[in-house]
Amino acid sequence: MLGSIYAMIGVALTLSIGVLKFLNFSIPGVFMIGGMSTWLFIRHGMPWPLAGLCALAVGASASLVVERFTWRWMRNAQEFVPLVSSMAFLILFENLAVAYWGSDLQSLPQLFGNADWRIGGLVISIPQLLGLALSIVLIWGLSLLLSRTRIGRGLRTIAEDSDTAILLGVDISRIVPIVFVIGGLFAALAGVLFALNYRQVHPFMGEALGLKGISAMVVGGMGNIWGAIAGGLIIGMAEALSIRYLGADFVDISVYGLLLFILMVRPTGLFGGASAGARA
Amino acid sequence: MSGYLEGVLVLLAINVVYAYAAFLPIAAGQLNLGVAGFAAVGGYASAYLSTTLALSPLIAIPLGGVAAGLVGLGVAVPVLRTRGIYLALATFALGEIVRASILNLEVVGGAAGYPVTAFIRLPTIAMFALGVTVLVWLLFATRFGIAITAVHDDERVADLMGLDVRAFQVAAFTLGSVIAGIGGGLYAHHFSYIEAQYFSISLSISIVLYVLFGGTQSVIGPLLGAAVFTLLPELLRGSAQWRYVLFAAILIVVMVIRPQGLITGAQIRRLLGLRSSASQKERAA
Amino acid sequence: MSATDPILTLDNVSKHFGGLAVVENLSFAVRRGACTGLIGPNGAGKTTVFNLITGVYPIDTGRIVLDGVDIAKIPSRRRIHHGVARNFQNIRLMPHLSTLENVLVGQHCRNGGLFGVLQPVSLVPGNRWREEARAALEEAGLAAYERATVGSLPYGLQKRIELVRALMAKPRLLLLDEPAAGLNPAETDALRERITAICRDRGITLLVVEHDMHFVGALCADVIVLNFGRKIAEGTPEHVREDALVREAYLGADAMEPRYAS
Ligand SMILES: Nc1ncnc2c1ncn2[C@@H]1O[C@H](COP(=O)(O)OP(=O)(O)OP(=O)(O)O)[C@@H](O)[C@H]1O
Ligand SMILES: [Mg+2]
Repeated sequence: MLGSIYAMIGVALTLSIGVLKFLNFSIPGVFMIGGMSTWLFIRHGMPWPLAGLCALAVGASASLVVERFTWRWMRNAQEFVPLVSSMAFLILFENLAVAYWGSDLQSLPQLFGNADWRIGGLVISIPQLLGLALSIVLIWGLSLLLSRTRIGRGLRTIAEDSDTAILLGVDISRIVPIVFVIGGLFAALAGVLFALNYRQVHPFMGEALGLKGISAMVVGGMGNIWGAIAGGLIIGMAEALSIRYLGADFVDISVYGLLLFILMVRPTGLFGGASAGARA
Repeated sequence: MSGYLEGVLVLLAINVVYAYAAFLPIAAGQLNLGVAGFAAVGGYASAYLSTTLALSPLIAIPLGGVAAGLVGLGVAVPVLRTRGIYLALATFALGEIVRASILNLEVVGGAAGYPVTAFIRLPTIAMFALGVTVLVWLLFATRFGIAITAVHDDERVADLMGLDVRAFQVAAFTLGSVIAGIGGGLYAHHFSYIEAQYFSISLSISIVLYVLFGGTQSVIGPLLGAAVFTLLPELLRGSAQWRYVLFAAILIVVMVIRPQGLITGAQIRRLLGLRSSASQKERAA
Repeated sequence: MSATDPILTLDNVSKHFGGLAVVENLSFAVRRGACTGLIGPNGAGKTTVFNLITGVYPIDTGRIVLDGVDIAKIPSRRRIHHGVARNFQNIRLMPHLSTLENVLVGQHCRNGGLFGVLQPVSLVPGNRWREEARAALEEAGLAAYERATVGSLPYGLQKRIELVRALMAKPRLLLLDEPAAGLNPAETDALRERITAICRDRGITLLVVEHDMHFVGALCADVIVLNFGRKIAEGTPEHVREDALVREAYLGADAMEPRYAS
């Protein structure tokens, strides 16, 4: 069940939309970077916890590079420009990965033995359960950060109106990179967890899986962090159900069909948007 | 003509068609991230027609465009109720739905892909590309082109001036879908084989990138963007991935230096009316 | 028709934004063929009245009758077909179009059918509509800027282009929102003479919002004064100037005094 993966990517996307009104298409690319780096570091003999941490650092750095070349320059440009630049980053990341490691599926070794947990007929993978718990704890931490700290207040002011924030003395050029670092960490962590749990990564996993985080974000309500978790779980569930009842080929149709449906009927998402001031 | 040169020119012609498909809605202020989906509809529909009904590609490809246009019109009405990021996401979802649906459509081969028997070469493809280009250029010399830009610049005021904003948006979106469908048909009939994976979000993104790179304010922009991004990597050779890396890197840098794209409407007017603008500057100063 | 029959009547019009009543039970009539001034302190609701007449916002209650038709029931897009055109307090030209193309947009309500939309106005040199637009620019002394992208032109020129665009709709009723703002006294006088001549020659009725009382006094036969969305006085400029409520509104609002030529 990929729900918690989608949830974390959804959080990264929703944070960017909520605070900066920036649909950051490079996030699925950062997810891929997280996954591929984990594989790479483990292949070079690192123990998995260290490999995961290093992968997080790589993901956060990549996200900072994106910040340097998108939002920082184009805050006042035509509306599509930052979005389009972030798409270029997705293409850049994917093809750099292909150029170095080829486009094949790469496998990771089995790390945790057989860690399934059986209750009756139900099979629950413990690493997956831990992943879900971890993501909930982290998102809870993020919401505390947003509501309690000075950085959080700054971010919320920017979300309201970046010009006012400047007038109020919020140092935008120092605080905005934090959004990218946090977003990058969440996306990369999703990649790390995916790599550890499913033990298979490839350069286009961002496109194949990461983009579904967009559905999670929209279903939960753009700009709403907790909504993204719920959205991720709903998308994961929709996938599981369509595999069970319609077959594996229908997964993408259901996920993106749900996205389109929500956008048409209730664009603010199931749980209302705008907790961080998101408006398109 | 060498096979290599023909290959490059075919790619150029198809990319130009795709670029205009994305350009029309962008000119009206709508970012269509589902261009590949409409190209898929046109590509598969025309391939099906020419393969099963033995229609000439010259007829099948425009019909494929019509099919894509009908899908475009059908979804434009509900989808264009959303705007901004929501519209971009809705079209993105749409493109992915089309791609995923084709994977499940056994009549056209499903995941195995679909072989196309009819074959067209550069002259035919170039003719279509030229036709599309001339059509869009003519369209932008009419009140339609002015109205599209007006809707893009200020919907509210356009409405108050009596323009039917929704109608123009739907028209631009639908016409863009027709052109995308034609592009897909050209691709299918030249490469003799299509598969759903080709019509992925990467294709949509690349097409939008051509247009933004060339500039969205004039009809020359898409042509320029498609040309630069088809020809430049050829000059540099290298493997396909490095071309994409280069493509993305150039785009990122250009967007930083020149977010309005390579060429703007104002520049073209200046080029066309050198003298009058020179005297303007003096007066304005 | 007699000169006293109104071309436009507002009948008990109200508009609230959230809890804020911006226009309340406003009724007034605009005489056909005359110039009527709509004045009031900042935030009185003058621009909102224009927005209600042209349909930017729907009204909450009341009627807006233009030549016997209740235009409040007509969608905003159709209202220009009934002969109302306007400019905007904060210029709203299409920044990516050239001056000429902006003026062509103004003709849309007269040439917007399928045939009109597909006419190659910027291709065929002698196109009737294009020539009409060029002639209008020429007459306004703007011929030199025909090809310029309006976004790059100075404020004063943009204001003049916006007026030409509004006139292209061949309106019966022209709404001008602070046409003289930002102009120097000489430009203001020139503008007043031009507006007077245009309205006289083409039989256009004018409703104008302006803070410059000298301008209003010289241009308008009737004046309506708004304060907090209500009408507090109306009459000739002289009459209104003496009105105690009006003086109080302007002094009390201390945001601004009516500016007489000083
Ligand atoms: N769309 C809106 N939403 C909420 N309030 C609005 C809106 N438009 C106008 N207002 C409020 O209505 C009041 C009247 O505004 P309006 O612009 O009509 O004033 P005005 O008389 O034109 O002032 P000025 O002389 O400054 O142009 C103001 O308090 C303004 O804040
Ligand atoms: Mg005003």
